[in-house]
Amino acid sequence: MNEIVSASARAFHLLVSGDADLWIIIWTSFSVSLRAIAVAVPLALPVALLLALGRFPGRRALVTTFNSLMAVPAVVVGLTVYLLLSRNGPLGDLKLLFTQSAMVIGQAVLALPLLVAMLHAALQSADRRAWETALTLGASRPRAVITLMHEVRFGLVAAIIAGFARVIAEVGVSLMVGGNILHHTRNIPTAIALETSKGDFAQGIALGAVLLFLALLLNFFLNFFQGRGELA
Amino acid sequence: MSDPVLELIGTRMTFGKRRVLAVGRVEFPSNGCLVLTGANGSGKTTLLKIAAGLLKPDEATVSFDGMDFPWPQAARQLRERVVYLHQFPYMFDATVFDNVAYGLRRTGMPKPEIRTRVRQCLEWSGLDDHATQNARSLSGGERQRVALARARALKPRLLLLDEPTANMDEEGREQTVFFIRRMVADGLSVAVATHEKHLVSQVAQVHWRMHDGDLVEASVGTRSGPRGFEPGTSQTTA
Repeated sequence: MNEIVSASARAFHLLVSGDADLWIIIWTSFSVSLRAIAVAVPLALPVALLLALGRFPGRRALVTTFNSLMAVPAVVVGLTVYLLLSRNGPLGDLKLLFTQSAMVIGQAVLALPLLVAMLHAALQSADRRAWETALTLGASRPRAVITLMHEVRFGLVAAIIAGFARVIAEVGVSLMVGGNILHHTRNIPTAIALETSKGDFAQGIALGAVLLFLALLLNFFLNFFQGRGELA
Repeated sequence: MSDPVLELIGTRMTFGKRRVLAVGRVEFPSNGCLVLTGANGSGKTTLLKIAAGLLKPDEATVSFDGMDFPWPQAARQLRERVVYLHQFPYMFDATVFDNVAYGLRRTGMPKPEIRTRVRQCLEWSGLDDHATQNARSLSGGERQRVALARARALKPRLLLLDEPTANMDEEGREQTVFFIRRMVADGLSVAVATHEKHLVSQVAQVHWRMHDGDLVEASVGTRSGPRGFEPGTSQTTA
C-alpha cells in the first residue's frame, strides 16, 4: 500500500514538475493520434457519404462489413501493418517500420472502420427532407451534401472524437509497428505497459492519470455532441 | 387559358413491384392553382416530387414552358425553376433570415440584393420580427410561413405544396389559404396536394382527383381565376 502511495506521489511530482521524458511521451501520443485521424477522416467521409446517399447493389453488405470490421482487434491490425511494412513486406522499401509514420498508418487503419460506421450513422440520421429541401431550393448535389453535413455536424464531430478516443488509448498497433522507442515512438499506452513491466509505477501512474483524464474528457464531449446531434 | 407551365406525359413509377403512379397526362396551369385531392397513398406526393425533379420516374415525358426535356436535363430544369414544400417544411438549423436566403445564395446573387429580397419576403410573410431567430424555434404555422417566404424569394415558375393545411388549426388553415391566394394573385403557378376537400372551393382553378396512382376525375374549380387565368378550358387526364 505504501508503495502505491509513494508511487502516486512521485507520479504527481513528475506531472507538475514538467518532466521532459513524460511530456515527450504525451506529445508523441497526441501528435501521432491526431495525424492518424487527419489521415483517416478524409478517407472515411467519402465512403460514409456514399453509403448514406448512394443507392447501389451491395450497399447494405458494405455497411455490414464496416460495422463488423470495428471488432478487429488492434493487435491484428498491428500484425497486418507490421507484415506490410517489414523489410520483406510489399511496402518494406519505404523503411517506415518503427517510425511515427508507421504508427500513424496503423492507427489510421484501426480508426477507419469505426469512423466509416459512425460517420455513416450520423449522415443516415439526417432528415430526408433536408436533402430534398436543399435540392428544390436550387442547390447542386455537392452543395446539398455540404448542407446535409452541416445539419448533422454534431454527429460528425462525435464520430471523429470517438475515432480519436479509440486510437489514442490503443496499445497493440503502436507497440508492434512503433517499437516503443524512447523519445521517438513511445506513447502513453506503450510507456505504461513498459514501465509497469519494469516495476516503475510512478511514470505509469502519471501517464495513466493523463490517459484517464483524456478518456473522460473525450467521452464527455462525445456525449455532448451526440446529444446536440439528437436535438438537431 | 395560357399554356401550362409544366406537362408530364405518360408518367409511370413503381416501388419494387408495386405500381404507385400511372398518369397519362397532367398539366400544371400557368398563373393558376391546381389542386390534387385523393386519399393517403393515392400518389399525390409522388407526382409532386416528380414534378419537382426530386424523384426519377420510370417513364415520363416532361414539357416545361413548351419545351420537351429528357429526364436528367428535365430534373435539373425542374429543380431550378420549381419549388416543392413538404407537408412539414424542413427548417435548416439557422436563422429565419438564412433559411430564406438559402436558395438565393445558390444563384450567385450579390449580397445586398439578397438582403433586400429576403427582407421583402419576410415582410410579405409577416416574419420580419423573427429574422434573427433560429427557424427551428418557431411554431408549425410560422415554419410554414418561412418555407413560403423561402420559396417566394426564388420567384419560381411553379410552387408545389404538399398537404399544406394538414394538422393545422382553423386559424392556420385560413392563413395558408390566404397565402396561396395571394401568391396566385401575384402571378405564381401553384399546385396543391391535399386530402382536405374544402381547399378545392377555396383556392382551386383546376381540380383533379387521384386514386391508386391515376388521375380519375377532372373538374374546373369554382373560384374565378386571377388575371391571365381562364377557367373553363378543358383539361385532359389519363
